[in-house]
Amino acid sequence: MLKTESESPPDDAALALRVARAAPGTDREAEAELYRRLAPRVRLYGLRHLRGEAPAADLMQQVLLMTIERLRAGALRDPQQLASFVLGMCRMVVLDLKRGHARRERLLETYGDVLLPGEALTPSPDRARLMECLERLTERERTVLIMTFYDDVPAETLARELGLSAANVRVIRHRGLQRLRACVTGEQS
Amino acid sequence: MTPWCKSSLEQGVLLAYWLGELSETDEARTEEHLLGCAACSERLGELIALRNGVRTLARAGGVRAIVNDAFVRRLVEQGVRVREYRVPHNGSVNCTVTPEDDIVFTRLDAPLGGVARLDMVEMDSQGKRRARHEDVPFQTGSGGVVFIPRIDELRALPATTMRVRLLAVDEAGERVIGEYTFNHTPHAAD
Repeated sequence: MLKTESESPPDDAALALRVARAAPGTDREAEAELYRRLAPRVRLYGLRHLRGEAPAADLMQQVLLMTIERLRAGALRDPQQLASFVLGMCRMVVLDLKRGHARRERLLETYGDVLLPGEALTPSPDRARLMECLERLTERERTVLIMTFYDDVPAETLARELGLSAANVRVIRHRGLQRLRACVTGEQS
Repeated sequence: MTPWCKSSLEQGVLLAYWLGELSETDEARTEEHLLGCAACSERLGELIALRNGVRTLARAGGVRAIVNDAFVRRLVEQGVRVREYRVPHNGSVNCTVTPEDDIVFTRLDAPLGGVARLDMVEMDSQGKRRARHEDVPFQTGSGGVVFIPRIDELRALPATTMRVRLLAVDEAGERVIGEYTFNHTPHAAD
């Protein structure tokens, strides 16, 4: 990981500033570090909006290449606004991807050497452990979590299907998720 | 990694974000935070990993659960190979599980009007209790309960008879809503 003179890692804004201030393409170390940090976050945005690993990976590459391109060009005036800047590009690329337009090839040609392999998402928990932890939930918690997660069903929809109120579904879901997470991570015996 | 997080996003907010439940304004605020915060985005990644694990288990019949007809329809639409048994009120069914089945689910027809709490009791052929599942979710107007047993447990069963009893529970005590018999035969290899 990149360190400053004081041995503490620079924050995202400081890295963005370094890229912006350097002659275009000369601070590859800062560009690579910024890429490494932002890649998993942009990928999650892609998963949320595009609901698939492949389009999320596409989004990640395009957004990060555009970010570095624009930082090099001095398009980000206030580095503290980096997250907002990246969010704007995420939205634009999602629209592009949904329209089927891709500018990926051109960007890859120009900036491909900055690319690093994207960091893998957190692996799923151990199957046997997860089975055991699901068994420990109450019937209602298990039902609500399985039906929520299977198809990413929001509380309003699930409430109608189960004859409960949406508020009730949220309470059961929240409690179940807390217990499941604690069990899987070993925070409870 | 971002060394600090001004205000960590709660697990409930992360889940609501993932499920698309937030207002447009809250979603934008959450996304900006996630793009600027390594710690919270890591927690979202963990949540998605947990969701993926549960989803994979459910698809493979690896978890016992009470569900509903809409859930079963989703499974079928997504290509999951489902074996379905419908047991009439106080009736019985001959059942098995084959290597081709991903999930077996059973619908127990039952009159659920006026029931406040429903318990499900699993018994062996002699009526000896094996498990009691308390306060199972149900919809009054649905006319029954849909449940998915764990497929690995079904595959391990010898030829046997099992019974399931549905009980309505309230302050006055409990009453039997319905009793169902399963005559299970292991799949015969070709």
